[in-house]
Amino acid sequence: MNFRELLGKKILFFDGGMGTLLQERGLRTGEVPETWNLSHPEAIRQIHKEYLLAGCNVVSANTFGVNAFKCKNLDCTVDELVTAGVRLTKEAIAEVRGECDHPMYSALDIGSIGKLLKPLGEISFDEAYDAFREIVTAGSRAGADLILIETVSDSYEIKAAVLAAKENSDLPVVVTMIFDENGKLLTGGDVASATAMLEGLGVDAIGFNCGLGPEQMKALLPQMTACCSLPIVINPNAGLPVVVNGKTVFNVAPDEFAQSVKTLVEMGASAVGGCCGTTPAHIRRIVECCRDMEIRPVTDKNLTVVSSYNHAVYFARKPLIIGERINPTGKSKFKQALRDHDMEYIYKEGLAQEENGAHILDVNVGLPEIDEPQLMQEAVTGIQSIIDLPLQIDTSDPEAMERGLRYYNGKPMLNSVNGKKESMESVFPIAKKYGALLVCLCLDESGIPETVEGRLQVAEKIIWTAAGYGIPKKDLVMDALVLTISTGKDNANITLETLRRIRYELGLHTVLGVSNISFGLPDRSRINTAFFTMAMNNGLSAGIVNPSSEPMMAAYYSFNALIGEDDQCMEYIAKASSQPADKPAAASAPKAGLTLDEAIVKGLAESAHEATVRLLEQNMDSLTIINEKLIPALDVVGKGFEEKRMFLPQLLMSADAAKASFEAIKAVLSKQGKSSESKGKIVIATVKGDIHDIGKNIVKTLLENYGFDMIDLGKDVDPQRILQTVQEQHVRLVGLSALMTTTVVNMEATIRLLREHGADCRIMVGGAVLTQEYADMIGADFYSRDAMGSVRYANELYEKGEL
Amino acid sequence: MEIRNEDIKKRVNIREIYRYLGYGAKLPDSSVDAMIREVLEDLVNVIQPRNLYKIYTCSTSGTIVVLKGANRTLAFESRNLASNLAQCRQVILIAATLGIGADKLLQKYEILNMTKATLTQACGAACIEAYCNILQEQICEEASSDGQRFYLRPRFSPGYGDLPLEYQKVIFEELECTKRIGLTLTDSLLMYPTKSVSALIGLTSNPQSCHIGKCRDCENLTCEFREPAE
Repeated sequence: MNFRELLGKKILFFDGGMGTLLQERGLRTGEVPETWNLSHPEAIRQIHKEYLLAGCNVVSANTFGVNAFKCKNLDCTVDELVTAGVRLTKEAIAEVRGECDHPMYSALDIGSIGKLLKPLGEISFDEAYDAFREIVTAGSRAGADLILIETVSDSYEIKAAVLAAKENSDLPVVVTMIFDENGKLLTGGDVASATAMLEGLGVDAIGFNCGLGPEQMKALLPQMTACCSLPIVINPNAGLPVVVNGKTVFNVAPDEFAQSVKTLVEMGASAVGGCCGTTPAHIRRIVECCRDMEIRPVTDKNLTVVSSYNHAVYFARKPLIIGERINPTGKSKFKQALRDHDMEYIYKEGLAQEENGAHILDVNVGLPEIDEPQLMQEAVTGIQSIIDLPLQIDTSDPEAMERGLRYYNGKPMLNSVNGKKESMESVFPIAKKYGALLVCLCLDESGIPETVEGRLQVAEKIIWTAAGYGIPKKDLVMDALVLTISTGKDNANITLETLRRIRYELGLHTVLGVSNISFGLPDRSRINTAFFTMAMNNGLSAGIVNPSSEPMMAAYYSFNALIGEDDQCMEYIAKASSQPADKPAAASAPKAGLTLDEAIVKGLAESAHEATVRLLEQNMDSLTIINEKLIPALDVVGKGFEEKRMFLPQLLMSADAAKASFEAIKAVLSKQGKSSESKGKIVIATVKGDIHDIGKNIVKTLLENYGFDMIDLGKDVDPQRILQTVQEQHVRLVGLSALMTTTVVNMEATIRLLREHGADCRIMVGGAVLTQEYADMIGADFYSRDAMGSVRYANELYEKGEL
Repeated sequence: MEIRNEDIKKRVNIREIYRYLGYGAKLPDSSVDAMIREVLEDLVNVIQPRNLYKIYTCSTSGTIVVLKGANRTLAFESRNLASNLAQCRQVILIAATLGIGADKLLQKYEILNMTKATLTQACGAACIEAYCNILQEQICEEASSDGQRFYLRPRFSPGYGDLPLEYQKVIFEELECTKRIGLTLTDSLLMYPTKSVSALIGLTSNPQSCHIGKCRDCENLTCEFREPAE
C-alpha cells in the first residue's frame, strides 16, 4: 500500500532527530549537516537504518537545510545534496527490507529557507517558490515517496513551499509547523488560520513538530482536532530545550516520551515521531507503546472558513460583515486613485473599514484601462502587510483571480462564479487549486431567475458542478442576488425566500450585496437597514456592506444582541456608548478658528483642512493659498527645525497638516477638471542591502508637501532599477538613503552606475553614517544632513530651472 | 526567559525616546508627549518579544576573544571587543526580538500618519533596549547565584567598533535564531524583524567596571543622539 492509502487509516511512525546523532559521529561546528550526504554517506544511511529497525514507517532524507540560499557558500548544488539525501533513505529501506515487514517510505524533507518574505522581509514569494521548486524537482526525481515540509513557522513561506510541491510533483505533502506554547507561529499565525490555509491548498496531512515537547503539544492538539479535517502528524522534541554549560539538551527519556506520545495518539494524532533530541531509542519505545492502537477516525469538521495570515473567520450563526468599500464602481475618486496607482488611497479605505468593525474586506480594483492582474497582486500583498483581516478577491478576470489568490497569505474568499458554463469552467479550477471560499451568484445563461425556484435550481447546478471539481459544499457561499424594489415589488421577498431556503434547506452559507435593494430610491440607508435586518433573520451569513455606515452597523449589532449572539449585550453596549461620545468631541473642536498658517505651524491637520476650505470658499485662488499661506508656514517650521527650536515630530505634524490642506485644494481642482502643478519628479530610494526606510519616508513626505512629484522605489533597491526609472521617466534628481556603513558601498555603486550611463540627474544622499566628506568621496552632488536639507536643495534646483 | 510586555513598557526610558527623536536634553511639548505615550501603548500591544541566550567561558588574548561552550568554541577577532571583555571570564551571547508586530505597526503608520511612524520607530528602539536590559539583568542575577556576584559589561554587537558585521552569522548559527525565535538575517547581514538585537555581554566580578550606559562610551562625540552627561 502506498503512503496515501495508509495515512489516516492506520497509525504511522515518523523518525526522530538527526542533528545530535551526526554530532556524535563527528559533525563539526559550522559544518553543514547535509554535506554529509556526499562526504559520509555510510553514516547517514546507518542512522536511517537504525530508525527503520526501530519500527518507523517514514524516514526523512537529510535534506532539511538544503536550499539555493545556503548552497551559495558550498561547493555542491541543491540537486546533488537532495538527490544523494533521498537515495540514502531508499538504500537504507532496501537494506533493512529483509528484517522489517512494516511499510517504509522515503520522505523528501524540506525546511525553512531562513529568510523573511516580502512585503515585510527580504525575498519575494516567487523567489521562495523557486527555491522550493528546485528542491522538489530534485527530490521527486530521486524517487521520494512523499514530501515533508517541517519546522516551518511563516504561513506565507509555507504556502510557497506547498505550491512548489504540488505544482512540481504528484507526491503526498505533509506539513508540520513549529508553534509556541501559546499556539502561535513565529510570524503570528494561529492553529486555526494555518489549518484553514493548508486544507485549502490540498495537502495530505498537517501537524506540529519541533519547538515543544510532547507535554506542551498535548495542550495545543485540541485546537487542531477541533478544526482539522485531515490526518494529524505530531513530531515533538524530547522536551523543552535546556542549556547546560552552553550546550542545548533535551531531557525527556524514551519511556516518558513514549507515554506522552501515546496520549497524543489517543487525542487524535494519526502519525507520530520525534524531532530535536529524539533518538532511535525514543522511536522504538513509541512503536512499542502505540503499534497496536486504533487511531481516531479522521472526520470532516464541515467548517466554512476564511483566514488571514494570523486568524481564521468562521461562517456561523452570527452573521459577518464584509466591507465593500475597496471597489471603484460609482466612485470617481477611487477610479482616479487606481489610474494614479495611489495605493495609499486603497489602504486607507481598508484601514477605515477594519476600524469600523468589518470581518472580511472585499478587494475590487478592476478598471478597463489598467493592468488588473498586476494591481490585484499588489493590492492583496500591500493590504495584507498592514491589515489583519481576511480578504475577498473580487474580479471577473480569471487572470486577476489567479494572481490575487496565489499571492494571498491565508485561505482567501473569491467573488465570484455564476451558473454559466463558461464561468464555472474558468473559475472552479482556480478556486479548487488555491482552496478559496467561493461566492456563487444564482444566475446563469438565461439571466437572473425571477422566481425562488429558478434561483435554487441555479444554486443546485453550481453545487453539483463544483463537486465534480472536488469543491465541497462547505467551500461555497451562495449569493441569492438582490434587485432593487424600485423596479419590482416582490424583489425583496424573492431574495429573502431564496436566502432562507439556501441556508436551511440546501445547507449552505449565504452572502448578499445588501444595498442594491434601494437602488433608485431616496434616502437609501433607511431601506438598506431594514432589509439588512430582514435578510439576517432569513439566513444571511455575511452582508457585503459599508462598515462606515452607522445605521447599518447599528442594525448589525442590534440583530446579534436580539438573537442571543452577543453575550450580555457587551458588544452592543460598547458600540452604543462609543457613538454619542464621538459627536460632541468633533463638534466642540476648539481650534476651528485657526488660520491656515497657524494650523500648519501647530501641526493640526483637521484645522488646516477647515481653514483651507474656508479660504477656497472666499474664492482665494489655490495657487495663492499654496504660495502665500501654506509654503511660508512650512518654511517657518522648517527654519525652526534647522535652528533646533522645533523638532522632528513637529516638522512631521506640520507636514501632515499641509497634506490635509493640499487634499482640500485637490478636491476643488479636480471638480474644476484641473490638477495641481508639480515642481518636478524626484526618485527616492533606500539603497540595495539596506532595509531602513523611515528616514527616506520622512524626506519623501516633506518634499511632497513642497510640491514635488515623488517616485518612491522603496527599500533594498537594486541600482539597475534606479537607473531604469531615471531614464524612462526623465528624472533630474535622485535621493538615496543608507543607514549602515556596510550599505554605503551600494550607494556608491548606484551613483557609479548612474554616472556611467550618463544619466542626466543630480544625486543627493543622506543617512546616519554619512558625512559631507563621505558624500564627496562617493561622488554625490549634495549631502543632506537632515530632511530639510533635501527640501532646500530641491527648491534651489527648481528655481534654477534644473528639475 | 519570560518577560511580559507590560514589564518592558515600565522599563522604557522615555528620555531615550525623546533623544532618538532629536530632542537632545530638551523636552517635547505636551501634545507630542501625549502622542509618544499613545504610540508606545499601541506598540506594546502588538509586540511578541522572544529571546535566546547561552553563557560561555571567555578568554581574551590580544585582539582575539575565545568563547568556550560545552562542545563548541567560538572565536572573535576585534580589538574593541577584546578590551570590552578583558576582565570577563564569562560571556552571554544573546539574541532578542520584538517580533514582526512592530514592523507591521510601523508599516501601517507610514501610510496613515508619518509622525506616528517616526514615533513608532523611536519607541521600538527604546522597547528593544528595555527588553535587553531586563533580560541581561535577569541572566546576570541567575549566573550570580552561587556566592559569586557578577556585574554586566556594556552590550556589544557585531558592527560596533571594529567587530565586523560578519559575526552575525556566527551568532545566528550558534543560537539557531531563525528556527527558534524567527529572527532572520539578510544577505547584507541586517536583521528581520527589524527591532532586534544580537550581542555579547561580559560578566565581570569587578563592580567598578560595570555600567549599562554604553552611549557615553562611544567615540562619536558630535552624535546628535548622544546621551547628555549627568
